[in-house]
Amino acid sequence: MGQFTQLNEDLAIAIGQERIKTDQAFTARYSFDGLSPRAVVFPKDIRQVKEIVSLAAKAGVSMIPWGSGTKKCMGATPSGADIVVSTEKMNHMLDVDVANLTITVEAGVKFRDIQARLATQEDRCYLPLEELGKESDELICSDRAHSGCFLPLDPPFSDRATIGGIIATNSSGPRRLLYGLPRDLLLGVRFVTPEGEIVGAGGKTVKNVSGYDVSKLMIGSYGTLGILCEMTLRLLPLPERMETLVFEFPSISEAGSFAEAMLRTKLLPAALEIMNSRAFEAVGNRAGIYAKTGSCLVMVALEGFEEAVERMKKEMLAAGDRLGANTGIGLKEDKHNPLWLAVGNIQTFNSDKNKDLVALKLTYPLSEWKEIYAYCQNLIAGEGLKHTILCHAGSGVSLINLLPEDRRERDSTVGLVSGLRDKCREKGGNLVVECAPPDLKKRMIVWGNIGGAGILMERLRNAIDPSGIMNPGRFFPTN
Amino acid sequence: MERTELIASLKEILGEENVLASEMDLTLYGYDASLEKGRPDAVVLPGSTEEVSRIVGLAYREKIPVIARGSGTNLSGGTVPVRGGIVVHLSRMNRVLEIDIPNRTVTVEPGVLTLDLQNLLLKKGLQYAPDPASQKVSTLGGNFGENSGGPHCLKYGVTTNHVLGAEVVIYDGTVVWIGGKCPDHAGYDITGLLVGSEGTLGMATKIMLRIIPAPEAVKTMLAIYDSIEDAGNTVSAIIAEGIVPATLEMMDNLVIKAVEESVHAGYPMDAAAVLIIELDGMADGMERQAEKIFDICKRHRVREVRLAKSDAERAELWAGRKGAFGAVARLRPSYLVCDGTVPRTKLPEVLGKVIQVGKKYELPIGNVFHAGDGNLHPLILFDERNREELSRVHKAATEILKICADVGGTISGEHGIGTEKLKEMSFIFSESDIDFMRDLKNAFDPVDIWNPGKVVPARQAATA
Repeated sequence: MGQFTQLNEDLAIAIGQERIKTDQAFTARYSFDGLSPRAVVFPKDIRQVKEIVSLAAKAGVSMIPWGSGTKKCMGATPSGADIVVSTEKMNHMLDVDVANLTITVEAGVKFRDIQARLATQEDRCYLPLEELGKESDELICSDRAHSGCFLPLDPPFSDRATIGGIIATNSSGPRRLLYGLPRDLLLGVRFVTPEGEIVGAGGKTVKNVSGYDVSKLMIGSYGTLGILCEMTLRLLPLPERMETLVFEFPSISEAGSFAEAMLRTKLLPAALEIMNSRAFEAVGNRAGIYAKTGSCLVMVALEGFEEAVERMKKEMLAAGDRLGANTGIGLKEDKHNPLWLAVGNIQTFNSDKNKDLVALKLTYPLSEWKEIYAYCQNLIAGEGLKHTILCHAGSGVSLINLLPEDRRERDSTVGLVSGLRDKCREKGGNLVVECAPPDLKKRMIVWGNIGGAGILMERLRNAIDPSGIMNPGRFFPTN
Repeated sequence: MERTELIASLKEILGEENVLASEMDLTLYGYDASLEKGRPDAVVLPGSTEEVSRIVGLAYREKIPVIARGSGTNLSGGTVPVRGGIVVHLSRMNRVLEIDIPNRTVTVEPGVLTLDLQNLLLKKGLQYAPDPASQKVSTLGGNFGENSGGPHCLKYGVTTNHVLGAEVVIYDGTVVWIGGKCPDHAGYDITGLLVGSEGTLGMATKIMLRIIPAPEAVKTMLAIYDSIEDAGNTVSAIIAEGIVPATLEMMDNLVIKAVEESVHAGYPMDAAAVLIIELDGMADGMERQAEKIFDICKRHRVREVRLAKSDAERAELWAGRKGAFGAVARLRPSYLVCDGTVPRTKLPEVLGKVIQVGKKYELPIGNVFHAGDGNLHPLILFDERNREELSRVHKAATEILKICADVGGTISGEHGIGTEKLKEMSFIFSESDIDFMRDLKNAFDPVDIWNPGKVVPARQAATA
């Protein structure tokens, strides 16, 4: 305890008392998985992060980097969470270079604020600005000589998540089908190592092979290799036209045939999202779209040049008719944006209603998706559990939320997760538990199969964080 | 271990015929397409992962350097055995192991030539996007090691964006798979770290690549300019107007003339610069994009824009670009190609400065490069036998890289650091940045056998 008091005093000298919160009423807001930090610190820039990490490393206390906390429960429960290092005050856009199609921001900048800053004069934005409240208005770029850009990512919680959290957890969404992953967009990083050194890599150029590609290593590292403080990302010109098509199918069989047929064409949809009716209900309600009869829905995002969107719309509606869709609805940009924002927020909608939510991410080779989808649906339905499924067709990823309503159902999730994982593994895939009540999470395997690269990962982790103080246990069990 | 003993052990693993150790062999494998030179102790030609694993196991026990090599087209000294050791030439491991169309992956051995794979895929309406200019001879293992680029990377990204996984032999000879057909692998992106690590962290023995459907339509244009500045400004303007072409390539007058004299691509000899602009994707809307580009070119005083009307015409426009290095090589006995990369908006400014450097050091410099992604390739022409000239060349190259670093760019866009740019690493990295890389290197290579003396500069000896 005395050591911690000393650390607090040292921190106060280094970054100022006002940036350190230790009263329990406050720190309780940063508790997760049954852990409560003893202090929450708010550095204003990378230099202060360095001060904090150096002092904490000397004292041997564990640290949890924190953006908006939307993914605080992801990964295994850490073995310690002494100090939460919040990036909240590191919210500056350091370089917005639309002519070069790059942006450099601090880790605490919210994803939505980046999109707002890149919007056009007509307020065309990749996120529905009107839903995002006042804060973003001040950020909208005033010197826009360009026709609008965007950061081509659509991660979950995109109205709250920080860019640091998105990169650190390798977050992506349905539109990865067209635009790729964080690893295709991140050009450079600056971070603070677990030993308190500021390290930079990459830069503002799309091509860069100077030294090791350290930026890649930081993506999805969950803060275990250091605290991400600044990053440079690639932008794209805002699509000329954005529309959504919604198809209702009687079952996964027809929906699947439709999605597969579309992926075999030369058309380039931004996303092909297959979902069960409960998922669509949660998502569609937010945008005022209601399904009528379908038990399986396909939402298609079309983003691109006028002529290309027009053709995709025509051909897909025709294909939908041919392949047994009950209806095909076309939705313009004013509905398109809120709808896809809602897709990314499905876990929030679900957890608002159900505190025992278990969120799973299934990954598998593309060709296996249909069998896995059907298997999941049957297995979960067999237990009588309410659930939502979102399947990013063409990307090999499905997101399942289990919504247990009583004790028996709650208990059944443990067996379900293991059954689903076995199926994924049998097909060369994996299952990660992204969120679960702490007591259930303890009974589940969180990361699933790390594979042969595990040897290298452990060597890496031990080399970079030998004393194991950065988000300890999040990836690898600690002793 | 004595050299004769080493060679005997290698022969035991690989058979007599797959171990090369004559004077001539050791000289031939002592250099690559850069200006660097070295000399290995032995050259081996393994035929399987198991053989590679046993070679590495031996090297680990005996602490002997191991240098992976494909076709040696590398431009930064990355395959030069500067501390001797075993050169592992992977040309015999050249099978395409699997084309998995439903999963959009292809698995290859490292010795497969880039263009061979591309031609094979094209027959099936598919493509592997990265297209380094040396694709005719470069290997996919080399592309993996160097994170190679190419003209189409502007839109499609570089090699790393297309590598899904690999079978890798690690420091002690153990074989592991990283990544694979399943996306979003849990844990660190080891694949991302290994691509472009120039064989200093491990050796890939199988590579899994992403394949994509070939585009429905392609439109290729040649824009001819009377001023290099106008051409440079056109490049920035196209991007700024919201168009991301598949390629945006530029050549200056010195290169145009050299190209015309060798491959006859039909470029006007008196042009100050030409741009090759290519659009690809869905056919719809492409016409309008092309018109928009045409307008931008006109605004920047283009002399003429030619549109390729057939595949043959398209191939002709490209022949000039792909043959450019070879054509320039005919002008003087040697050339050094710089690989500095800058934010594309800085391109006109940097080009001007590069011309100044040529004047200052009295060296002819040709420019042929990936303008769209700011990746310059100034070719400095000289005669290697003239030592005084050679020293001016190195000074000029360093100065060009400094110019690139100073405008927020970097010292290598796609050719790698190798040995050639070790001293320039300090232009863009602090000591703590490089220390982090050293930690990574130690984690993956505890006894320092993987291609030693490359990428990461040695720590300065502490002054007593």
